[in-house]
Amino acid sequence: MALAAALGASGTLFARRVTRLRALVQSAKPTERSGDVPVRVRNEVTIVLGQRKLLQRFVPGLMHAFIFWGFLVLAPTILIAMIAIVDRHQTLPWLGHQGWYALLVDIFCVLVLVGVVSALYMRKVVRPKRFEGSHLGEADLILALIATVVISLLLWHASRIALGYNEWPASWSPVSHLLSHLFGHGSGTRVLERVFVWIHVATILSFLAYLPYSKHLHIGAAAINVWFGRTAARGRLEPLRFEPEEGESEEDLRFGAGTAADLTWKQVLDTFSCTECGRCQDVCPANQTGKLLSPKLVIMGLRDQLFSGDREAALVPTAVPAESIWDCVTCGACIEACPVSIEHVDHIVDLRRHLVMVESSFPSEAEPMLRDIERSSNPWGHPQGQRADWAAELDVRVLEPGDAPPEYLYWVGCASSFDERARRTAEATAKLLQAAGVEFAILGPRESCTGDPARRMGNEYVFQALAEQNVATLNEAGVTKIIANCPHCFNTLANEYPDFGGSYEVVHHTELLAKLVSEGRLQPARDEKLMVTYHDSCYLARHNDVLEAPRELVGAVGTALPMTRSGKQTFCCGAGGAHMWMEERANPINVERVREAAETGADTLAVACPFCTVMLDDGVQSTGDQLRVVDVATLLVEALEHPAAPSAD
Amino acid sequence: MSVLVLVEDPADELAQQALTFARSVDGDVAAISISGDYAPAAWGQTLADQVAARAPQAVIAAGSERGNEVLAHAAAILDLPLSANTIAFAAGSPPTVTRVRWGGSLLEQALLHGSTLLMTVAPHAVAADGVAVELEVVSPSQHALAVAPTKRVGAASGGVSLEDADVVVSGGRGVGSADGFAIIEELAELLGGAVGCSRAVTSAGWRPHTDQVGQTGTKVAPDIYIACGISGATQHMAGCKGAKKLLAINEDGEASIFAHADYGVIGNLHEVVPAIAAEIRKARAA
Repeated sequence: MALAAALGASGTLFARRVTRLRALVQSAKPTERSGDVPVRVRNEVTIVLGQRKLLQRFVPGLMHAFIFWGFLVLAPTILIAMIAIVDRHQTLPWLGHQGWYALLVDIFCVLVLVGVVSALYMRKVVRPKRFEGSHLGEADLILALIATVVISLLLWHASRIALGYNEWPASWSPVSHLLSHLFGHGSGTRVLERVFVWIHVATILSFLAYLPYSKHLHIGAAAINVWFGRTAARGRLEPLRFEPEEGESEEDLRFGAGTAADLTWKQVLDTFSCTECGRCQDVCPANQTGKLLSPKLVIMGLRDQLFSGDREAALVPTAVPAESIWDCVTCGACIEACPVSIEHVDHIVDLRRHLVMVESSFPSEAEPMLRDIERSSNPWGHPQGQRADWAAELDVRVLEPGDAPPEYLYWVGCASSFDERARRTAEATAKLLQAAGVEFAILGPRESCTGDPARRMGNEYVFQALAEQNVATLNEAGVTKIIANCPHCFNTLANEYPDFGGSYEVVHHTELLAKLVSEGRLQPARDEKLMVTYHDSCYLARHNDVLEAPRELVGAVGTALPMTRSGKQTFCCGAGGAHMWMEERANPINVERVREAAETGADTLAVACPFCTVMLDDGVQSTGDQLRVVDVATLLVEALEHPAAPSAD
Repeated sequence: MSVLVLVEDPADELAQQALTFARSVDGDVAAISISGDYAPAAWGQTLADQVAARAPQAVIAAGSERGNEVLAHAAAILDLPLSANTIAFAAGSPPTVTRVRWGGSLLEQALLHGSTLLMTVAPHAVAADGVAVELEVVSPSQHALAVAPTKRVGAASGGVSLEDADVVVSGGRGVGSADGFAIIEELAELLGGAVGCSRAVTSAGWRPHTDQVGQTGTKVAPDIYIACGISGATQHMAGCKGAKKLLAINEDGEASIFAHADYGVIGNLHEVVPAIAAEIRKARAA
């Protein structure tokens, strides 16, 4: 009877909250997250069951894994305990009698306790910065509840062994057996046995009721959120529609996220899934260099706003300060680190979209960039007619309307067309393609900015205009294969243009060059004294999984010295998310990265992105380090032209 | 329907356009101007008072900086929407306005609600066709003059503004320190020009952001731009490409600034700049 009442109370509280949460998800804006079932299943197995993301940080990851796996193993004991409350001599058929299960229960009780103790040690003694801003008291309460559940279970089992009530062979449960010596065999233990089982069940039921009201909601939400996470092309942003489709009214269109009512259901789920672990904050280049942005606080702010029920107030600044929205470099380190597949960058871009397109409110220094992209088709306002100037002496074919399509179209990008430093990459790439006999052409003045900076800035409108224009040019020219040396262009062409009718086979120049080297079509002379550390571009490594090709090229020309943060764990140069055209507050990100590069002892800092080139070269000039910042293509061309000659800039 | 037009100078082209636009909205046009020195908050209050007294159906001003500012104040006081930079008006309930956004790149069609329709007219949205109206001059609401101009000071008193200067002497990382700018300032003063700098300099805190020339700073268009110790990054060049002539002084002959320069000196700016200053003094003394 008492059990029924407790179950009812806990169940009602739980159901009430869950109904409310479900309503929030159901009333949210649509987003497409179906298909790709095999990938989703794999994500559930690796990210949820296998705790892959959590184990990226081994010790705290293991701590969490103990508790998580423990709860999976211990789940049936809830039923066993409830059955025993009704009738102390009954248990779950079959499982309740198994010695091996009793052994597992004992082992995992201990592991969960180890997990709880390490968690408390982390929170009370180590106190990592990533917890700043999280609900710390809530976490303590949850840890206490978990400890109570497990300890009461052990003591309950121990008292049953002491009373001879155990349905399983006592020899299989070493810990409970050992503890059973604390108890006598009389009525006192019989009372205690009841007390323990009640403490156990009551704690679990309170936990159940409390769970959906706390940040521990992630127990339920995370697995669902991982299922609906991105399955392909992390670098792609969800396009906005400016014209209503059939059956839609203008009201259904969203221009980013202005209020809580504008969030998509995945974004709502994201906020439910956040358990405030702060891994995102810890890897955020903006946060780590003293800026206001914390991806964790963005998600928490949005969640608070959702739960407040206020669907009118502006998300910026009520939920999230404007400054932090503009701090983001869209590098995606937060997403990579997040154990529950929260997509912070999509939230931030949606907030920017509303600020830019509806409020016209954004850092004023970025305005010339947006205007120049619109008027001059490049972010610096250079005349389009000068786009192919870098190639004037290289005998590169400029594709004219009506010409036969080349095997490869070399998409040069604005930076490599106009920026003095980045132009060297274009020159090197063209020379290498010519040396290897690759048939290619450039668009010259008919190439426009892909729109990436405008899009990351939040100006979807300008982006789409450029996307449509470029797709029309490329399709008309019959282009099928594209080489891009700018990872931002690469990402936009490969992942975003398919949304606008442009599907091409896009390779990054390092991928093609690595292939040409492995095929022997380019034979660089390796100089092992050339000490090279390679900086992964976020849009290449993290957003597009291009990791090996540039490393192969570095290995082919010199000795590679890896940086601490490399590959998918790379640290941004500071230019992403349109930051190339914004002023930076607090400490410069590029200087932080150059410091790390210098620590390797390398003399050459190799890059594969024109913006990384500019940012890191500026960084080197600030720090005064003896580092040459250079694109891998330039290194390769030098290794062909001057075999084994040490290069100096 | 009656329209009230705020006019500062009836001879002004933009005022004429606003009047023409007003007449296309309705034939019954009255025009007022407000006496005294420009005081946006007070003018806004005055206009709001006039709206309360006259109950016009629409209030229109030119889409100039002042017109937009005063109507914004009035709109806030009256708690009414304002359609700024309007280029077309179509009657209806509510009427539809077309307005210019995004610096002219986007035209927005919007429904304009409100008991009184507030609009400013984008410059050159209509051709002025000489509307003659009687201009009634009203005094500003005294109680709103809490913020009022007491003295006007020309920008010239603090030196030449970077944006308008005919000569800009700019320093980059090569200057080395905040104190290093003394020679840059000296040369600028001798030439009657303004001091600029690159982003590296403002990042290092040697100069305020207001001095920064570049993509994210001020865009300048002097007759001559003297770049001292500036490497010539694209982000900087975007701010000075309007210069008629560019003189680059840099130790590094490979610096990309020389690709853009009309004149170049390869040398240490700490020697070259004082030498130029000395030559100018000598020439003037002679």
